[in-house]
Amino acid sequence: MAELKEIAKELLTSGTVAYIIGYASEKNDKTVPFIARTVEDAEKLVFTHHSVNNLSVYLKRIKKPESGKVGLVVKGCDLKAVVALIQESQSKREDIYIISPKCNTVVSDNTKPWNKDNIASKCLSCEVRTPSLFDATFGEIETVELPSDEQIELIKKVEAMSTSEKWEFWKNEFEKCVKCYACRQACPLCYCDQCIVDKASPRWIDSSATVQGNFAWNMIRAFHLSGRCIGCEECNRVCPVDIPLSLLNRKMSMFAVSEYDYKAGTSIEEPTLVGTYKLTDNEDFIK
Amino acid sequence: MENIYKPDLAEVKEIIDETADTRTLRLQFKDPEVHKAFSFKAGQFGEYSVFGEGECTFCIASPPTRMEYIECTFKLVGKVTNALRKLNVGDTIGLRGPYGNSFPLEQMKGKNIVFISGGIGLAPVRCITWNVLDLRNEFKDITIVYGARRVEDLVYKNELEQWKAMKDVKTYITVDPGGETPDWKGEVGFVPSIVEKVAPSGENSIAIICGPPIMIKFTMPVLQKLGFKEENIITTLENRMKCGLGKCGRCNVGNVYVCKDGPVFNYTQMKALPDEY
Amino acid sequence: MKDYIITAENIQLLVNDVLKQGWDVVSESKTGVNFNAIKDASELAIKSDSKPSKLSMKDFFFPKTEPLFFYRQSHDGVELVDASPIEKKTLFLGAKPCDAAAIPVLSKVFNWDYKDEFYNKRVENSVVVSLKCNYSDDYCFCTSIGLSQKAEQGSDAMLTEQQDGSYFLHIVTEKGDEFFKMYSQYLKDTQAENNKPVESKYPEPAVKFDQGKVKGWLDANFEHDFWNNLGDVCLGCGQCTFVCPTCHCFDIVDENCNYHEGGRMKNWDSCQLCLFTKHASGHNPRDGQTKRYRQRIQHKFKYYEDKFNEVLCTGCGRCTRGCGVGIDIGGIMERIDKF
Repeated sequence: MAELKEIAKELLTSGTVAYIIGYASEKNDKTVPFIARTVEDAEKLVFTHHSVNNLSVYLKRIKKPESGKVGLVVKGCDLKAVVALIQESQSKREDIYIISPKCNTVVSDNTKPWNKDNIASKCLSCEVRTPSLFDATFGEIETVELPSDEQIELIKKVEAMSTSEKWEFWKNEFEKCVKCYACRQACPLCYCDQCIVDKASPRWIDSSATVQGNFAWNMIRAFHLSGRCIGCEECNRVCPVDIPLSLLNRKMSMFAVSEYDYKAGTSIEEPTLVGTYKLTDNEDFIK
Repeated sequence: MENIYKPDLAEVKEIIDETADTRTLRLQFKDPEVHKAFSFKAGQFGEYSVFGEGECTFCIASPPTRMEYIECTFKLVGKVTNALRKLNVGDTIGLRGPYGNSFPLEQMKGKNIVFISGGIGLAPVRCITWNVLDLRNEFKDITIVYGARRVEDLVYKNELEQWKAMKDVKTYITVDPGGETPDWKGEVGFVPSIVEKVAPSGENSIAIICGPPIMIKFTMPVLQKLGFKEENIITTLENRMKCGLGKCGRCNVGNVYVCKDGPVFNYTQMKALPDEY
Repeated sequence: MKDYIITAENIQLLVNDVLKQGWDVVSESKTGVNFNAIKDASELAIKSDSKPSKLSMKDFFFPKTEPLFFYRQSHDGVELVDASPIEKKTLFLGAKPCDAAAIPVLSKVFNWDYKDEFYNKRVENSVVVSLKCNYSDDYCFCTSIGLSQKAEQGSDAMLTEQQDGSYFLHIVTEKGDEFFKMYSQYLKDTQAENNKPVESKYPEPAVKFDQGKVKGWLDANFEHDFWNNLGDVCLGCGQCTFVCPTCHCFDIVDENCNYHEGGRMKNWDSCQLCLFTKHASGHNPRDGQTKRYRQRIQHKFKYYEDKFNEVLCTGCGRCTRGCGVGIDIGGIMERIDKF
């Protein structure tokens, strides 16, 4: 933590960055997003097992500074969103000062202490606890005992369902949707100036939270993120009615790997999956 | 069960194209009893709907002294106005209202009245203007200043001529510099400067002003210089509305619901509002 | 009005009996996400020491989406058809006092001048039996806004869990009295002095502020640097308003329709969404998240009080618990209190 504060102070003092998007402590162990603009603010920055949020979402939500870079505290997993934003020409590498810690997993429930049973599901298959792209890094990797990955079991379970069973499963989940759009707002890759659900004429997606409107919204969002979702699971985390959106997104990501050998947010040099066409592209699954 | 959200049905009786993008609909309620029972005051607004497209808020542009038709004038800006433009004579729309407060007609009686408006801001002003003119004897001097960007942007052109022809009304129609045509005989200049030139006295006078925020902003100091008291400068506010009933929570400016406490406000009230309109 | 004792078993029997009479019975779902109409008493989840469900029960009075009427249209004309009448009687069982208290708060906005009978009818058809709350966490603050873990506002009757596992049933309204008289076979006589509640594991909410003082500050500080940082990290989703038992902003849209037929819907909307106040012309009076967040605070703790002498909040803490970026409304109130 001392390392982070020193890095932040240096960056703010030298004017390398205009501000740093990081985490600050809240009640109990919880941490919340915090924008450090001064050296005093830098004192408040922390990085703990409770630093859950994917802060790269703010790259497209907060006004760019007139001078200096944007400092961003970002875990290896969330860093993939930064990479994807650069791949999709939404951010420039040179505008961001990436402070990426070595991460020893984060919690699933931000109000409870970190332990073996309170680890975010995205951490269970994480390959990037040591980041590969950064301007500064800190921390040490420790051995963490991980619980089993229940999410992948659930995906397998849904995969094995018949079409009508799948329909029932998702109908029960989507029925709860209240159309608050927290999933969209928390998503670093949902950056459209005008979301399709907000287009009024013509209206493509009902804004009403009916089964029809809810299916349309959640499925369209899953499609828009296919081959793009980097698996930070923020949508899943912020959903007020616990719809397991990660199942959809993770399944689509698995598809991108199995069909196109593509992992979103891996390299800033690589063209995006949906932005390229190869003659060898597998089209078998489009029926 | 009483349903405050359900409109009455009205028929489009006549369509008048004011400008390239602004249109007036003359409406009559389908049910003559409903039409007979409908009453409103100048300044109030209605919720007009095209079924399948939605509802839109406009002031009632015709005066309460002429109840044969209810008129609304709208500019093409979004989904519902686009649908309203596609209507033909004989088509049905939904109309509910009237909502909101109104111009203080009683308080205006016995006073000089100055009507100042710009662009489509004439719609609510036209309503109160005809209301006043139809009761001409109860008011003193009447001055009308109306401006638009270009000659072709002037709305209610026929009525502007009628007002100009009235001997007991001083009418000044203006267009912004550069907006005049070769045969334009009216004023050229921005509304605030025309008001300054015409210089109606603020003594025992009420000014009604509606138009683009920039026009209001620059006319205010002129009116104050002419001696208009703040409480005698009256305008209407437009905020996005949905229900018109003080429920949906959309139109509030501070603790004021524009749909219920407005849309008519005097300048003293306006100054007390936070800058969120 | 008389109070009673009811055993846990008899609650089950009563509920099944009520269901048999054709009523809906709504209680918190076992998943802790929302309130559900249950089909059998075995689905009941009455727990006085549980965290408030993620969604409040306002959905049952003010649905997230509701048809106002339907239209049928042809070139010969238009016909408007009423939505189906709201007739279903509903028993709400085990609601927290902070949930029940939202009903009279919402009644005020739905009834000043124009009356929203969609809301009124549902309230009229409901019997709300709340459960004295034995829970609190870092985000509850009912006691700071004039409520408490046993506040009776909005309840027709209130259950209090007893040391012996039974419940003390305190009748609050005539409606509650009439309801329970229909089911007297499940009730045992008692007197107020027999009320021996279980001890709560949780203390009163720790968040404390003086609403009067907060209101005074809000009256004077529409413009203040304090607001600037608040909106900084807010992502502008509508979660806080949608989970809130008292937030009531809505949209009116024609949806699920074509030219020939369709419906006009009243849908939950949120002052936190960027399009909420945007004019068709493009002008937006609240054009940044800071302004939108200020609106939420001001509406709850000032504007509503100015109009209705009541805050638009029951201190349930749902908005904070659910906020993805940890914006803490109780914490904000405490900070304002300390200015």
